[in-house]
Amino acid sequence: MPDGFEERELVEHAKEDPEAFGALYDRYFPQIYRFAYSRVRDQSLAEDVTSEVFFKALRNIKRYTYSGHPFSSWLYQITLNAVADHYRGAAGKEVELEEGADMPSQAPAVVDEVVRRDRSRRVWAAINQLPQQQRTAMILKFSEDKKIEDIAVIMGKSAGAVKLLLHRGVERLRRELPPQLEAEVGVP
Amino acid sequence: MTDDPELQEIFTDPGHQEVVDLLQSGRPATPPLDPHFRSYLRAKLMTEAHRTLPRQARRSWLGLGFKPRTLALSMAAVAAGFLVVLGVQIYLHGGSTEMGQPVAVDITKTINNKSDVSTAAEPIRIPFSGPVDKNAVAESVVIEPATSVTKQWIGSTLVITPTHALAPNTTYTVRLQASATPAASTPPSVKPTPTAAPSPVVVHFSTVRPPIPPVTAPSFASSNVAWVSDSRLDKSGTILNAVWTGGGQLLATRPAGQPGSAASATPSATPSSSPASGSATDVWLLSQSGTPLLDLAPGASLPSAPSTPAVRMFAAWSVHGGQANLEVRDLQGNLIATVATIKGTPERAAIWLGSDRLAYVDGNGTLNVVDLHGNPIVLPHQVKVSRGSVEASPSGGLIAVDGVEGPVVLDLAGAPAKPLPSGATGFDWSAKGDLAFLVQQPSGSDLYVAADGKQSTRVASSPAGQTWTDLNWAPDASSLLLATKPADSSSGAPSLLVVNRDGSNVVPFGAHTEYTAPEWSPDGNLVLFTRRDDATGGVTFQVATVSISGTNSAEQQAIAEVDRFMKARLAGDRSGALAELDSNGQAAFQSSGAPLTSAAGSTFDRYYPVTVQLTRTTPSTFLIGVRTFIAKPGGAETSFVEEQLMVVQQDQRYLIHDVQASPSQPLSHGPTVVSVEVLQTPPGQQIQVRFDADLKAETVTNGTVQVKTQDGTLIQSQVTFDPETHLATLAVKLRPGTYQLVVTTGVSDINNVPLAQEYDAPLVISR
Repeated sequence: MPDGFEERELVEHAKEDPEAFGALYDRYFPQIYRFAYSRVRDQSLAEDVTSEVFFKALRNIKRYTYSGHPFSSWLYQITLNAVADHYRGAAGKEVELEEGADMPSQAPAVVDEVVRRDRSRRVWAAINQLPQQQRTAMILKFSEDKKIEDIAVIMGKSAGAVKLLLHRGVERLRRELPPQLEAEVGVP
Repeated sequence: MTDDPELQEIFTDPGHQEVVDLLQSGRPATPPLDPHFRSYLRAKLMTEAHRTLPRQARRSWLGLGFKPRTLALSMAAVAAGFLVVLGVQIYLHGGSTEMGQPVAVDITKTINNKSDVSTAAEPIRIPFSGPVDKNAVAESVVIEPATSVTKQWIGSTLVITPTHALAPNTTYTVRLQASATPAASTPPSVKPTPTAAPSPVVVHFSTVRPPIPPVTAPSFASSNVAWVSDSRLDKSGTILNAVWTGGGQLLATRPAGQPGSAASATPSATPSSSPASGSATDVWLLSQSGTPLLDLAPGASLPSAPSTPAVRMFAAWSVHGGQANLEVRDLQGNLIATVATIKGTPERAAIWLGSDRLAYVDGNGTLNVVDLHGNPIVLPHQVKVSRGSVEASPSGGLIAVDGVEGPVVLDLAGAPAKPLPSGATGFDWSAKGDLAFLVQQPSGSDLYVAADGKQSTRVASSPAGQTWTDLNWAPDASSLLLATKPADSSSGAPSLLVVNRDGSNVVPFGAHTEYTAPEWSPDGNLVLFTRRDDATGGVTFQVATVSISGTNSAEQQAIAEVDRFMKARLAGDRSGALAELDSNGQAAFQSSGAPLTSAAGSTFDRYYPVTVQLTRTTPSTFLIGVRTFIAKPGGAETSFVEEQLMVVQQDQRYLIHDVQASPSQPLSHGPTVVSVEVLQTPPGQQIQVRFDADLKAETVTNGTVQVKTQDGTLIQSQVTFDPETHLATLAVKLRPGTYQLVVTTGVSDINNVPLAQEYDAPLVISR
């Protein structure tokens, strides 16, 4: 991965040089698309969101200033906003769970998934059933390998709040996943 | 237990740690991605970036990506003398000043009489001799064909700067109204003296004829391929295997702990042993010269990469505790997905099927195919493989397998497997979809080629009992590299040969020394191979620089022939023009009604080639589209005609053999196609259509720029448009044959002026 200095230099060039912006795009497209898809679970929507993210980045890159966090944090922030904008424009499409809600009734489907797929796939499938904020934090940490401090910047929360989301997410997976997995992970 | 201290701090409970470990041991499946979306979005973004970001820093960051061969050919074309043509005429009529004096433009200080106006976005300066209403003058500027410009006054000179490069071969007209300065000092009570509307200032100029790009990829026929020099990637044993990426870098398995430079000594290893079976290894990204760039996958081995440059991913095996994960990563090293897990240690790299599936052989010897989510693809037949060859066609639809029950070609679409000759192995698919393989006989080796993986034909045999191995197609599928070993290995070292696709002209490639496992780089400039290291007894990976000779001399001769023909026509030399036609060409001109020389009362003013296409190689045949401008004697151009000239090699020269002429078209102010180029970009093609005007990008779509079969069936294509260069690029997959390019009047310029009339041109895809 790029070191911070090299990345900052590239970003500064990208404020004036289309080719440098293209290099940023090449570097960050995979993770932004992957993250967008993880949030919307639809290829066409993920393409729309990814497109919106990079066009917004292009329009606003001159205003971007380095704040000690990776440039990608800024892109993730834009992605979250773009996803939120999308669901605001299509109210009711996203199934949002309350923090205290039980796992959805699709849990048996998850169980089927657990039976069929390998262990890590089962856990990842279950992550998709978490409440939105927990899911975002979990994906950024476990799929995108972000530091907690960076996740906090992306989500506009404190580091402590992110830790809490992660803890609740993992606890919820441990507590509410079907028995097969519970047996595997050693939960009584 | 996780290595991440942040997670260790949060999760101290063993139950939580188990979940964390499960999360970290796998990643979500790779999301589905339209393979064209990434490049499509990039093109759109770059268009917007070029429009919105400041201009002064361009080309300061990444440099120009000229490939030496392309540059050399371009320069050769320049040297061939494709020069510009028209002068610049400035017609000036002044306005008048507030003092009633006419405003003049000093044409001696303009581009007047320049006959080779560069396409670079150089300023057009209009100096005025007196005060004018600067805002009004600047606002009155109109350029045709439609061109975005910036306008700026420097003193009394109006500087008009195109915002990007002008189109080649184009006559531009700049019009502006030389309005006088408003009489600000005139008392309001005094009514200004009415004056006649000033005549516009009109500037005409034409741009240069650009170099003609090569129409064919370099021919890798065996007579053209020459070894220039070679260099070792690293010391013996420090690279265990290596493959090219689609973008021309190298993926290598290296023993773990290698530094990021090529200087360290490590224990010897050979590429023939499975790197995964030994101690820990890493997969590195190397430059073409072997410079380690990035440790992409610590603990991994046996990388493989798709051939498509835009798909910047690779697959590699990662062995942990008696099982191996097949991982897909991007070329930054980020793990995208783990798509399969097998017991034991893999012995071969996974095989990419196109860019979205992978084939691998599991611990039981069973051939499996998965997509990038890890979902298994059901094969039409279960196939067991021992040590035999497995290779997939470029599209990924066919897999040649040397299975334990015999060699076959599997069709993933479900068609019955096609058996190959007994003993067939050592498969390699060309970019055009031809399958080559070897059959070892007691008397030597037989080389077979199966067009499209179907009917196989023995094309060559080793002449003196040599054993041939390691087939590798040249990028243009015209020849194969292979390793040859003498029947009596004590009589000589193994070496490399190059042989034409039809088995002809088997010639040595490189020195007679221990060269094996050749693999062409995607651009055809280099060959990766292995060589026994006499000092250590190990094997080194090396890269040879390759020279391709005689690649485009045919094209240059054909264009030179057209140039002779057209110059005779422009000069009114009918007999000179006839001398460039064969008998069929003379008959074709007679029957087509196309005049050899201009009619009375007009002249052929200039011409330029719009398209140059290779249609056959035996004999060399080119289809060259030329556009000829017709002018009144000593006057301005009024119309043009376009002709498709078929130029055929006959004995030692080329002659015009046929013509298809379009009706004369009046010159208009709408945008016009100025060039069409077909680029082979395996597994498909790119059709590049360049316009002369700034276009409304949203009007350039696959609805307005189309490729059709000869019976009018629309071919599926993806169109991108770069306003900066006026270039529309169609990505298509065409089989050899003749097609029609159609640009409709739905294309319009930034002033909403549509294409003057539909443009049609033949496209020939040759094998």
